[in-house]
Amino acid sequence: MNSRFRDRVCVVTGAARGIGLAIAERFGREGGRIACVDVSARRLEPAVEGLKSKGFEARAYGVDVGKRDDVHALFAQIESDFAAPVAVLVNNAVWARFEPLAQIEIETVERMFAVGVHGLIWTTQAAAPQMERRGGGSIVNLSSVSAFHPAKDSIAYSALKAGVVGLSRASAIELSAKKIRVNVIAPGMIGTPASIAQFDEATIATRQAEMPAGRFGEPEEIAALAAFLASDDASYIQGTVVTADGGWTIPAR
Amino acid sequence: MRRLAGKRAVVTGGGSGIGRASAIRFAREGASVLVVGRAGNTEETAAGIRSEGETASALIVDAAIEENVAEIVRRCVSEFGGLEIFFANIGVTGTNTPLLEQTVDEWSEVYRINTISCFLAVKYAGRHMTAQGYGSIILTSSAASLRANAGAISYSASKAAVNNLAQTAANAFAGTGVRVNAVLPGLVETQLTRKVFEDARARGVEAKLGHVTPMKRPGRSEEIAAAAAFLASDDSSYVDGQLLSVDGGVSSTHPYGRIAL
Repeated sequence: MNSRFRDRVCVVTGAARGIGLAIAERFGREGGRIACVDVSARRLEPAVEGLKSKGFEARAYGVDVGKRDDVHALFAQIESDFAAPVAVLVNNAVWARFEPLAQIEIETVERMFAVGVHGLIWTTQAAAPQMERRGGGSIVNLSSVSAFHPAKDSIAYSALKAGVVGLSRASAIELSAKKIRVNVIAPGMIGTPASIAQFDEATIATRQAEMPAGRFGEPEEIAALAAFLASDDASYIQGTVVTADGGWTIPAR
Repeated sequence: MRRLAGKRAVVTGGGSGIGRASAIRFAREGASVLVVGRAGNTEETAAGIRSEGETASALIVDAAIEENVAEIVRRCVSEFGGLEIFFANIGVTGTNTPLLEQTVDEWSEVYRINTISCFLAVKYAGRHMTAQGYGSIILTSSAASLRANAGAISYSASKAAVNNLAQTAANAFAGTGVRVNAVLPGLVETQLTRKVFEDARARGVEAKLGHVTPMKRPGRSEEIAAAAAFLASDDSSYVDGQLLSVDGGVSSTHPYGRIAL
């Protein structure tokens, strides 16, 4: 495999499984040094052991990205452990519930936004000075097609993911001067165990039939896109949203 | 990186600029490339690729004429044994004649070269690719398709049509394994934009080129080529019907300093 991330410290949040783990593995295959972050270090253990068994340099970090001081301490620890500043940050961690309007509780919204919006501000705040010190960096934030084409029961989620787009584009303006790029991936339906578990078989078949690709995406396909945006191949791509949904949101139906 | 090993690619507008850089990039990633253009520099691109030990040949035709595009596809298949990637990249800028004085002749020619060429690429490459159940078609659009004051009006409108074609063609090819995407460059020094760059140099303000982008610089053809290579490769296997901006952030921001409230 090629080595677009050789010697680069790549931080991936929500790396215990699914898309986050696939991204961590792709960085590893391309020579990256991987800092895996999740709310529970224990939950990360199998992921990190798996990455190491493939010959990748990977370390596990348990932190709640919604807590600013903890996030700043985390990034200081990562720089110390790898003896190099962070070059790549992928904000993939998310905590979400899908509910009709009347059922949405204060605690749900607070938790969702703490992880999915506040968390991105804190990781960006902590990573940017390190990236600046090494002469630049790349941040990739995970949004969703729900930011633009919300489905049922996604009032909080679509607001959350639209928030990711706004904060990413605004960050792109400020961080351009430090040679840091900030871009967004908006995945459609990705066939992780967690997403598949939400639907019965008939619903899955209906959804797939709606997509020009005729199938759900694989975590590895989002990882390939994340690697592109994080790499120097995307050196003139800034503040952009790239949708990866197999064409799902193209037709009006 | 050899993500395109064994693939056969057409790049139109391959004599210079983004097309030349893309032909070179595709070849370096392992593709056999049919370089198409209207001028003699098309052969230079192909010869340069061959001198690196990669595979390319040149075809000098206007890729906005129907029978020529049919011939381009036939030629790629006969010479290289197949066609998996078609990068429809020819374009003209249109003029900055005041809108109220513009003519149907100008608009027709701009649409022919910028838009109809993409329709023909989708039609003929699409026929071959849908039959084989695999392929990636990439259309060159522009940041000017999304924002005003980024190009001539006829040019901007013709590129907006290209965006729509990328989406509608992707949908028309649903279930076939053929993807269609557009790449939207910002300001890049190419044959099309040379005058802008030369004028700026003559006036000593070259450093101001690209100043409206957050990145404060124009792009390079190689940066667009890297994005085209991503869309050509299986790394973009779940990206379909998308408009990929490669413009330093100009289309997605309003970077005029802090807004005083």
